[in-house]
Amino acid sequence: MVELSRRAVTIGAASAAFAFARNAAAEEVVKIGVLYPLSGNAASAGNYAKMAVELGADIVNKGDPELAKLMPVAKGGGLAGLKGAKVELVVADNQGTPAAGQNQTLRLITQEKVVAMLGCYQSGITQTASAVAEKYGIPFLTPESTAADLTDRGFKWFFRTTPIATNFAKAYSDFLEEQKAAGRKVGSIAIVYENTEYGKSTSTAIADLFVKEGRNVTMKVSYSANSTDVQPQVLQLKEKNPDVVIFVSYTSDAILYTKTMKSLNWKPEIMMADAAGFNDPAYVKSMGPEAEGLISRSAFAPGKPGSIAAICDALYRKKSGGGGLEDGSARALQGFLALVDALNRAGSTDPAKIQAALKATDMKADQMVAGYNGVKFDDKGQNTLGSSLLIQMRNGEYVPVWPKVKATADVVLPYKGWTK
Amino acid sequence: MTARRLLQIALVVVVLAYPIVTAGSPVWQRLGALVLLAAISASAWNIVGGYAGQVSVGHAVFFGIGAYSAVVAFVHLDLPPILGAPLGMLVSVAVAAVIGVPTLRLSGHYFSMATIAVGELVRVLSSTSDWLGGAQGLGGPAMPRTVFDLSFVSAMPYYYIFLAVLAGVLGLTWWIERGRMGFYLRAIKDSERAARSLGVSAGRYKLYAYMLSAAFTSVAGSLYLCMFGFVDPESGFGILLSVKILVMAALGGAGQLFGPLVGALILVPLEELSNSLLGGQGAGITFVVYGAIIVIIARFLPSGLLSLLERRPNAPTKAAPVNPSPASGHAD
Repeated sequence: MVELSRRAVTIGAASAAFAFARNAAAEEVVKIGVLYPLSGNAASAGNYAKMAVELGADIVNKGDPELAKLMPVAKGGGLAGLKGAKVELVVADNQGTPAAGQNQTLRLITQEKVVAMLGCYQSGITQTASAVAEKYGIPFLTPESTAADLTDRGFKWFFRTTPIATNFAKAYSDFLEEQKAAGRKVGSIAIVYENTEYGKSTSTAIADLFVKEGRNVTMKVSYSANSTDVQPQVLQLKEKNPDVVIFVSYTSDAILYTKTMKSLNWKPEIMMADAAGFNDPAYVKSMGPEAEGLISRSAFAPGKPGSIAAICDALYRKKSGGGGLEDGSARALQGFLALVDALNRAGSTDPAKIQAALKATDMKADQMVAGYNGVKFDDKGQNTLGSSLLIQMRNGEYVPVWPKVKATADVVLPYKGWTK
Repeated sequence: MTARRLLQIALVVVVLAYPIVTAGSPVWQRLGALVLLAAISASAWNIVGGYAGQVSVGHAVFFGIGAYSAVVAFVHLDLPPILGAPLGMLVSVAVAAVIGVPTLRLSGHYFSMATIAVGELVRVLSSTSDWLGGAQGLGGPAMPRTVFDLSFVSAMPYYYIFLAVLAGVLGLTWWIERGRMGFYLRAIKDSERAARSLGVSAGRYKLYAYMLSAAFTSVAGSLYLCMFGFVDPESGFGILLSVKILVMAALGGAGQLFGPLVGALILVPLEELSNSLLGGQGAGITFVVYGAIIVIIARFLPSGLLSLLERRPNAPTKAAPVNPSPASGHAD
């Protein structure tokens, strides 16, 4: 009996000590829920995004001497505003389904007690997941979901750092305005788009904004991304001969258009693309030499050596053991850094304080990893400074050419296309 | 009072008290609601797939119709989503009739193949319809306007709503099982030719079962939309959904009243827990574990988990066997 009670006391003391240690540790950790598609058909994108966010956590927790000179949160040793609390990521898989996204968000909030949520890549999943965060009053930041209506739901806890289709349209319009001022012909514009959701919504956003800004959209050509022949569309373009063509396409169709334009020997003055298929490494590799001078967009360009973007790119390369940051991973990292910036300023893990800090976010262009002009949220939670970079195909790879402050090369026009 | 009676009462108490007991853990509470929701569609499938032996691999069509009807009621008519449920049932029954008349003439796996084809067709069509939100899908009310929007923070209201609907589906199935139609369906399942030769109007009863099954699957879809607030072609009409419904019923015991519920009781927690515990690793290991367990059960218990009870030497073999599921005794 004595033996037993002595043991009980020992166990009790040990567990008390353990509980105390856990408590002490708990105060030094701030948990962020990270929800991405780690399985399912978007798993590749989700895993890159996850890696980017993990890199972000490393930057905050361990620091980086070079980055520390440029970014306050990169000094290492956790978040200064939270007495050096380390960021702990609680990563979950949304399995590419809205239901799993919502179930996991509930778990992260109620069981893991995360103080903020980040995710979810697919707009539909961001929709269901953020609805739970809204009900529980936990800040939810999406770095990459672009469905326009996500920020039209009247949510108070929802924030979005990525620009959306209308922002891209604005970038194209501004770019064309500059070209016009430089004496290029931009009088007739054709928009060629694949006929599912992505192509339709993006081309509508571009056309609407162009009309509003007084640009002359003379043709809208739709086609199926599964087509094996786009000669009719290219012949149509050749006949009307617009000055500018903007493509909204996936990969195989982008390749097909590039080939067909060569075989039918037609090219516009300015050829532009809304990223997607034209940014796919498969396209760049196979069609790069056939599309010299093509203008596309990206949320990321490594920029000048020594910039935040360039350093993060190098760190990411080291972590991934291969490719550097690209459009998707750069946006994820940017979203995470905006969230961490707010956490640091909030100086508390109280969700309401984090929400207030997010609303007061004012990150400048020189603090950006992605090619934004900064991060500043409007009343709906949309980043108003989320702009895009334009990149141009030069000798088989893209280089940033616009806007000037982020360009590493000058724009060379007219479009050259095939080089031999 | 027999031991069986006591057990039944205990199960009813457990089922009714579950969301109150788990009130402190929203995840566990929600898990209960998820099990019931899955059990509704699997039980609905069971009517045609289990009892009549017509293995539909396209039941997501009806689930999606239910979900889309609910969201359309909100988006286009500004009504609470649940008011779309009756519409969904009507559309589903009509669609079932249109699909069923030609395809139910097919036998065995040809019927299954036809249902897969129809399912995929509907999925593709829905993704090209702007009215249905295209590939991007449609969302329900972002914030509940009234209680009729059925948008709650706690899973408790969902739990009891789903429980009531499931009790209704199981009650109706039980009634069919014991009636003339139940005998007809079992006869058709055993041998359609023999049933026909005895004067059973096989085509007509298969169609009835299919339409009934479609109506309840549609209700599950409408309830899903109320809970999750969003549907797109993949989550509404995706083939994985059809397969899940089928696997759940088969795992528990197709053609048995409580088979689908038992299947849901195993598979839903398995899926949720494996994703919660392993999903964050990012290697898709969730599905490996999930799949392995299904393979093991299929290998060693091909007629479903409920067959375990039948094998027990002293198990009662009468029409109403011991119910291993908490929903026994009709908790309404």
